[in-house]
Amino acid sequence: MSNDYLWDGGGTPDPDVRRLEALLGPLRTTRPAPRIEAPQWKTPRWNTWRFLAPALAAAAAILIMIGLTLQNRQASWDVASLAGQPRVGSTPLTRTGRIDVGQTLITDGVSQARIDVASIGQVTIDTNTRVRLVATRDGHHQLALDHGTLHAVINAPPGQFVVNTPSATATDLGCTYTLHVDEDGAGVLSVSKGWVALELEGREALVPVGASCRFDRRRGPGTPAYDDSDQALRDALDDFDAARDAAARAAALRAVLEHAGPGDAVTLWHLISRVDPSDRAAVVDALTEVLPMPSGVTRDAVLRLDPAALDGWWNTLGLGEASWWRTLKAPYPASP
Amino acid sequence: MERVLELQSVSTFRANGGAATPSEAAAARSELASTIRAVAAGDQDAFSRLYAGYVRMVHAILLGRVPRRDVDDLVQEVFLAAYMRIGELRDAAAFGGWIATIARNRATDHLRRSRDLVELPDELPGGDPIEAETLVVLDAVRKLPETYREALLMRLVEGMSGNEIAERTGLTPASVRVHLHRGMKLLREKLGWQGHE
Repeated sequence: MSNDYLWDGGGTPDPDVRRLEALLGPLRTTRPAPRIEAPQWKTPRWNTWRFLAPALAAAAAILIMIGLTLQNRQASWDVASLAGQPRVGSTPLTRTGRIDVGQTLITDGVSQARIDVASIGQVTIDTNTRVRLVATRDGHHQLALDHGTLHAVINAPPGQFVVNTPSATATDLGCTYTLHVDEDGAGVLSVSKGWVALELEGREALVPVGASCRFDRRRGPGTPAYDDSDQALRDALDDFDAARDAAARAAALRAVLEHAGPGDAVTLWHLISRVDPSDRAAVVDALTEVLPMPSGVTRDAVLRLDPAALDGWWNTLGLGEASWWRTLKAPYPASP
Repeated sequence: MERVLELQSVSTFRANGGAATPSEAAAARSELASTIRAVAAGDQDAFSRLYAGYVRMVHAILLGRVPRRDVDDLVQEVFLAAYMRIGELRDAAAFGGWIATIARNRATDHLRRSRDLVELPDELPGGDPIEAETLVVLDAVRKLPETYREALLMRLVEGMSGNEIAERTGLTPASVRVHLHRGMKLLREKLGWQGHE
């Protein structure tokens, strides 16, 4: 034990600390760990093959019916209520329904919904969310998240699923992610699998698995950072992104560089093109320490913000080719 | 008694209450890494150990940010979210800071979602009886800067020692000591207590 009661209860008891312990101690948590359950898949058991033939025939008939009706359903998606009573437009959704292009799905404080994104994935709509179906056609599916939270699980080639927000456009590059938008248009993207590109008026952020990125109307996408990076680094990044003058930006950048570690190459890469020109060399040096430049990429080219050099350096991160994103960028229609 | 991570025992049950030796710290990191691997493989016992090791830190972070009635549910949500995402963790040693970030983000989300609802008082009839002075003190702690608030709640509510707070959060013991003492000084001022420095 030390001689510092506040530190570990050692030494002479401090009456104020003891009083606080007595007052606040009853608030201590007592709840046990929640159970984690692996999914239990039930396998159908056939007692005899004679049941199989009718089943196959029925399945074939269903497939034919689906095929005949698909043409009429190209421009809408299946939607199901998960809790409470979401609304599609002004119509309450009790169990399942459809959402057409141009329609809005709204959840309140107790309702949640699930949308099937054509045949490429699912989006869970959290409480207090407003989302619109902007477009759906082969190879391109687009939602607009006005406010609230959605969780997307997409299994499709990169670039097919796009979500507009008031402050940035999120383009799926083969992944699972959560997107939250506040009512003032600011929000945060957290990626659980693959990566997502955020963009607003040419300002981009490539957010890989395990990382998050804030965004708002004024600056568009902020600077991404891994969720397990140093809290001091993330605080400094927030300061950097929110800074409104060069002095504040430079001060925040110094703090970022002080706290950046070997795992923060993604963050440093983004900063190269975001810092003031006079600070760029320091960022390039910091990134070089944790991620050597590949052959063919020169310091001069990076300092000039040569796109090929920046993409070449990004590619050494092992998170996927930046050219994916470059070639995928297309003039998707803005939210109506 | 439920087996808790070695990391906890290092500081909680050391006879001299001091910081872990390098070999103890290395053993604790190894134990944590193997526990996280087991959790990722779906091991409920490992998950319970991880929960027991970090629940007090997560509870303190949430208690400092959201209404008391919501804290226990959010603690469970934070651990379930961590379980679902544990494969994203690149460095087992970063687990404490990582789950702390999940807790802070979840609290922020919760407050965003709740702000349109009618604000309820922290104490409702029929709830667990809590002394009025406790609520006054909790309110004062919640008004402290984040770093002081979290350290004080871990120490005064959860009964964690300074070394334990440092090990869980990833902060240095020196930083935790500063947070505790500066936080205590500010808290005394807010409460109008004369203080025993």
